[in-house]
Amino acid sequence: MNRALLRLSLACLAMFVLLLINVNYVQAFESTSLTTKPGNIRIFDQQFQYQRGSIIATGDHTGGGVKIADSRLVKGTSTYRRYYPFGPVFAPVTGYDSIYGATGIEGAEDKELAGTDQRLAVHNIVSLFTGKPRLGATVFLTISPKAQQAAYQALKAQSVKDNGLPSAVVAIDPSTGAILALASYPTFNPNAYTTFSGTRLVKSDNRYRHEKSQPLLNRAINATYPPGSTFKVVTSATWLSGNAGRSPQSTVPAPPALKLPNGNLLHNDAGETCGNGNPPLIQAFYVSCNTAFGSLGIKVGARALLNQASLFGLNSSKLAIPLPVSASRYPLEPDPSLRALSAIGQLDDQVTPLQEAMFAATIANGGTLMTPYLVQNIQAPDLRNIQSASPTGTVLSKPVSSQVASEIGQMMFQVTHNQGGTAFATANPQVAGVDISGKTGTAENGVNNAGLNDAVFTCFAPSANPKIAVGVIVQGGGFGADAAAPIAVKIIQAYLGRK
Amino acid sequence: MPRGRRRTEFLMLAFAVAVVLFAYASVGLGLNGKLPAGLITYGLSYAVIVFAAHLAVRWLAPWADPLMLPLAALLNGLGVVMIYRLQQSGRDGNPGNAISTMSTSTTMLQVIWSAVGVVAFVAVLAIIREPRVLQRYTYTLGALGLVLLAIPALLPASMSSVKGAKVWIIIGGFSIQPGEFAKLALAVFFASYLVAKRDVLALAGRRVLGIDLPRGRDLGPVLIVWATSLLILVFETDIGTSALFFGMFVAMLYIATQRTSWLLIGVLLFLGGTYITSMLFGHVGERFTIWLHPFDPQYVNGAVVSSYQLVQGLYGMGVGGILGTGLGHGQPFFTPLVQSDFIVTAFGEELGLTGLMALLLIFGLIVQRGLRAAVAVRDPFAKLLAGGLSFVLALQVFVIVGGVTRLIPLTGITTPFLSQGGSSLISSWVLIALLMRISDTARRPAPQPIQDEGMTQVVRAG
Repeated sequence: MNRALLRLSLACLAMFVLLLINVNYVQAFESTSLTTKPGNIRIFDQQFQYQRGSIIATGDHTGGGVKIADSRLVKGTSTYRRYYPFGPVFAPVTGYDSIYGATGIEGAEDKELAGTDQRLAVHNIVSLFTGKPRLGATVFLTISPKAQQAAYQALKAQSVKDNGLPSAVVAIDPSTGAILALASYPTFNPNAYTTFSGTRLVKSDNRYRHEKSQPLLNRAINATYPPGSTFKVVTSATWLSGNAGRSPQSTVPAPPALKLPNGNLLHNDAGETCGNGNPPLIQAFYVSCNTAFGSLGIKVGARALLNQASLFGLNSSKLAIPLPVSASRYPLEPDPSLRALSAIGQLDDQVTPLQEAMFAATIANGGTLMTPYLVQNIQAPDLRNIQSASPTGTVLSKPVSSQVASEIGQMMFQVTHNQGGTAFATANPQVAGVDISGKTGTAENGVNNAGLNDAVFTCFAPSANPKIAVGVIVQGGGFGADAAAPIAVKIIQAYLGRK
Repeated sequence: MPRGRRRTEFLMLAFAVAVVLFAYASVGLGLNGKLPAGLITYGLSYAVIVFAAHLAVRWLAPWADPLMLPLAALLNGLGVVMIYRLQQSGRDGNPGNAISTMSTSTTMLQVIWSAVGVVAFVAVLAIIREPRVLQRYTYTLGALGLVLLAIPALLPASMSSVKGAKVWIIIGGFSIQPGEFAKLALAVFFASYLVAKRDVLALAGRRVLGIDLPRGRDLGPVLIVWATSLLILVFETDIGTSALFFGMFVAMLYIATQRTSWLLIGVLLFLGGTYITSMLFGHVGERFTIWLHPFDPQYVNGAVVSSYQLVQGLYGMGVGGILGTGLGHGQPFFTPLVQSDFIVTAFGEELGLTGLMALLLIFGLIVQRGLRAAVAVRDPFAKLLAGGLSFVLALQVFVIVGGVTRLIPLTGITTPFLSQGGSSLISSWVLIALLMRISDTARRPAPQPIQDEGMTQVVRAG
């Protein structure tokens, strides 16, 4: 009987070997595919059993920064619920984290915040043995709470005044590309997304989704508007860079009406004259003559204008801050008559408010455009940095030489300091309490310009030693100097602590 | 001169107790960062129970295998720890959802069942001093086994059915699973019957196509067992138990006769029977569908045919990965009835692949020690019984662990020592007692022959 027993032992061995192979297959090889299966309630539930990392705005460089999103234990349970202490103020930055998904920084840095990122693995194995609950990493943002608060309040006030006009603003530290404020209005309250009830969540999401004012749209980076006269920065840059002999003092043709090759006439705003009809470039710039820049646009050529625009960051859909940024557009315009329009920011030109800020930031930073970014660093629960932005920023491109940048800077200075400048009334040093250099834009809109004009403003401050560059767009706001410039001034004042 | 090795057993047992107490403390720390309140009381009762078993072995079976008791105690202890962990889920402010099919007294009850199991273990060692004593009750035990099996099928559903499995006897809130005890009774019956008949079964017959076929009248008992297991399958919705009985009988038939033809006939009969019943009865076919397409959305949330439990178990094991979430850190409460059939998936989730493999190796070691005793013992009846019991333990682990890990179609049977429930626990302890009794017999030195004083004496040095 022993021979049969030995054979039976082999059968038992085979059964255990099969079981061992199978559990290895399930738990080692199939583990990832099982955990990522849609409908895996464990993963779905798990994210609320652990404390998700906080999001902290550090742009004011005061103490530990300001917590703008954190997870708090729901009383009497072991479940953590996301909480946004400032409600809608930081919504376009943080986005929301809900049981059905996340947006904004919550979505872009989800793995780090949730603690599932590979770089946090060592820490989590250690916590496994020490029995500490898993924690997410903390994400530190470049956002300045002061600038962001001012941005939100200014956009809201503007909207209330103008019957709910949508608007957006972005502020950047020009020397590094660090984003200081990023606001869009109307916006949403992310706390409406933190409920654990699927039906309640769908209900509030639907309400936002169907609202005509599109509160979920992040206009600052995901909506584009005609840049209007702010595009004259690009046209000036192209022309000044084209020949070393040109300067802001060089005179440019600026008739009251420019006859385009196709026979149409290009007028200045309200048919005004522009200086003596042949003013220096700097004067054409601060009074914002369309005819001067229309003719410069024709002169510099289609390719040069396109290249210059692309160097400023247009025509690229690759930018992520890390939230993906919609591409601003400047298409090649071979027809000189149409190019005259595109050179003053009309026709098919489309930019995001972030792009507006990047115009001013480039000039403020001596012609070098720094890559805009939101995440300063990410810190594991053991305080180890798993990701840090370079303290000096990273260069995105060099659109103009420092010489040309300083020349355009002088011209932008005149916009707010010369009595004839378009933004003198709303952004002069007496009003603002600080030297601001900027360029206004009033973009015609809609079919046959039937729509309300969009108000645009791009600027930096202080003029001598720039610390902040701002781009503002108020959809249908009218004159850029009237609707957009005051918003930029408020943000600059808040950030620089003036007034 | 072989040694009893009770000291080894004592040390191994102390180690097992230490592992269990560590796991128990770890559950508390994992759940709420505090040592569990019952660490002293439960821990002490558990230690007292298993060391009492050890003392009984010293007295009643001093030559028995030293590994079996520590291994069984370790499994029993870890099972109690996991049941405690599951019971605490979502209760007393702990994380997770409360498991509605468990109550706050479930762990206490399981500790009591463990004590009863050890009492049964000691009683078997005390009453059955020699394995052959059992042979006297061959037909009594055979009849008892069949009756125990048949009772749930004959009782009305209200007294025998829990969640579709008609394998219980429920009297006044108190329920037992007679199949667990029928398994042991029938093992003894088979061993005894086959030892008596093995010569006829092995030698008489015709040779057809190179296979030795037994005589028709010798096939009788095989057919009866086959029919019985099919009846269980049909009436009690219990393909697992049916497979277990059939496998056990075929294996013992093979040990007794050493004829491969019996194995072939047995396997063919089982497969044929399963195929026919799966055609005739929906619930058997469903098991195959679920096994093949568990993630199909129409089954995951299926109202009639549902793979929800299987899928949740797999998710749990997937989340556990290689090292597991740690005791108290997982979410095994998502798997319905995780405390019974699916308890190994909870181990897989919280102790990971590492812990689950360790558990499987512990089962494997018990089986190996049992088969070792079978090889070593001389009495053919004891040999056959030890072989059959070891094999049925291996088969049971294979069927349930293979089922919940989707190696084979899922059939609901308990995991020996681990699953919540008294019947399974007590019968597992009795099984260990029988194996230890047989190993004690095998390892006991033969009585010294009385030597003639006048002749040469053997003088041993040292």
